[in-house]
Amino acid sequence: MSPDLIDPSERNTHREDGDLADGLRRRDPLAMEILYERLGRQAFGLAYRILGDGPSAEDAVQEALLTVWRQADRIDAARGRLNSFVLTLVHHKAIDALRVKRGQQARQISVDFAEVEKVGADFSERVLQSIASGEVRAALTRLPEEQRRPIEMAYYEGLTHLEIAAALDLPLGTVKSRLRLGLEKLRVALRAGSGDELRRS
Amino acid sequence: MNCDEVEDILGAYALDALPGEFSADVTAHLATCSKHPEAAELRAVAGALAFAAPEAQPSAALKTRLLEALREESEPADAAPRRIGILGWLKPPVRQRAVPYALAGALVIALIALVITNVGGSDEPRRAAISLSGENNAGAVVYELEDGIIVLDAEGLKPLDTAQTYQLWSIASGKPSSLGLIGTAPNGEALAVVRADLNAIESLAVTIEPAGGSIAPTTDPVLEGKV
Repeated sequence: MSPDLIDPSERNTHREDGDLADGLRRRDPLAMEILYERLGRQAFGLAYRILGDGPSAEDAVQEALLTVWRQADRIDAARGRLNSFVLTLVHHKAIDALRVKRGQQARQISVDFAEVEKVGADFSERVLQSIASGEVRAALTRLPEEQRRPIEMAYYEGLTHLEIAAALDLPLGTVKSRLRLGLEKLRVALRAGSGDELRRS
Repeated sequence: MNCDEVEDILGAYALDALPGEFSADVTAHLATCSKHPEAAELRAVAGALAFAAPEAQPSAALKTRLLEALREESEPADAAPRRIGILGWLKPPVRQRAVPYALAGALVIALIALVITNVGGSDEPRRAAISLSGENNAGAVVYELEDGIIVLDAEGLKPLDTAQTYQLWSIASGKPSSLGLIGTAPNGEALAVVRADLNAIESLAVTIEPAGGSIAPTTDPVLEGKV
């Protein structure tokens, strides 16, 4: 092993993404290749979790990345926010495709980079550090079933709270409060998971 | 919609689980009301659920399709391969044909260090660069762009007909694994971005394979180099 290689624990995984954003703005396909190699497996994993078949999942990933390409002029971001933006787009494209598959109307929620950016930058950074430690998956797993299930139905199946209430045969008020309570618990867990041992000053 | 009504459905709102008209009402309320500071955090938490899905490997064809789609969207003037790409925005254009590859590698390290230093601090250059060499002045520099993502920057590769392709391999414990196919420009230059863990690789090699690539190399390497 080359002594030049940096120890993984020392790697700065939170550095700004000025170079990559710059490359995207210049419409350099190489910048997209880098983004693809970085996030492709996470993006495809997400789309596959939602759609359950490879070809549709790949279509969702491709559409999302093409949207990034078209909106590249508006990207000027820290790495965490660029990653979040891409995955938010993948999520929306996949949910739209799922709804069309089910014969429902696509919701066509537009995702704007500015909106992703203004969603609590400070908190996003902490969430990002949790992500590095695999905390999100663990935190979701630790939720009680009665809260995890409605959250999964909303996020991975694109169901509205009314549809969740009908599917689980629960009063709407119960679904609303379980969604809220589950998210609050995740928030606390992610905050706890992003403790000092992960923080880089 | 008043504050209590907004609070009542904030969890569903954060998860985009409200019918469209309700969602728009909540957004409108939040834009003018400061009594719901947790709304942004709950949305960020909901967004972080993207990372709870297990990673999965898409087919190799997805990357090809994506890059083709990008080319179709670009202006015709941009369609030609632009050598300046990575050099333009990632590091200053310093490639000179007379520079031996070992030295070129050192330059790349220094330049990447510059880029990283500008962003992150005054650390020593620590990203690895690897030289690959072959016959007839063919050669390449490979360096780690960010964790687990490497760039191959090659030149002197002879043009292939459509029945053949260049393929990049990593070799660990004597066993080759494909890192992907490499497209070349007519002048024999190539840039490829692939995922690879340099910590787990002993050497890199490029071979000529039938179009579509092979599961294992079927020809001797035209380029190779030790990590």
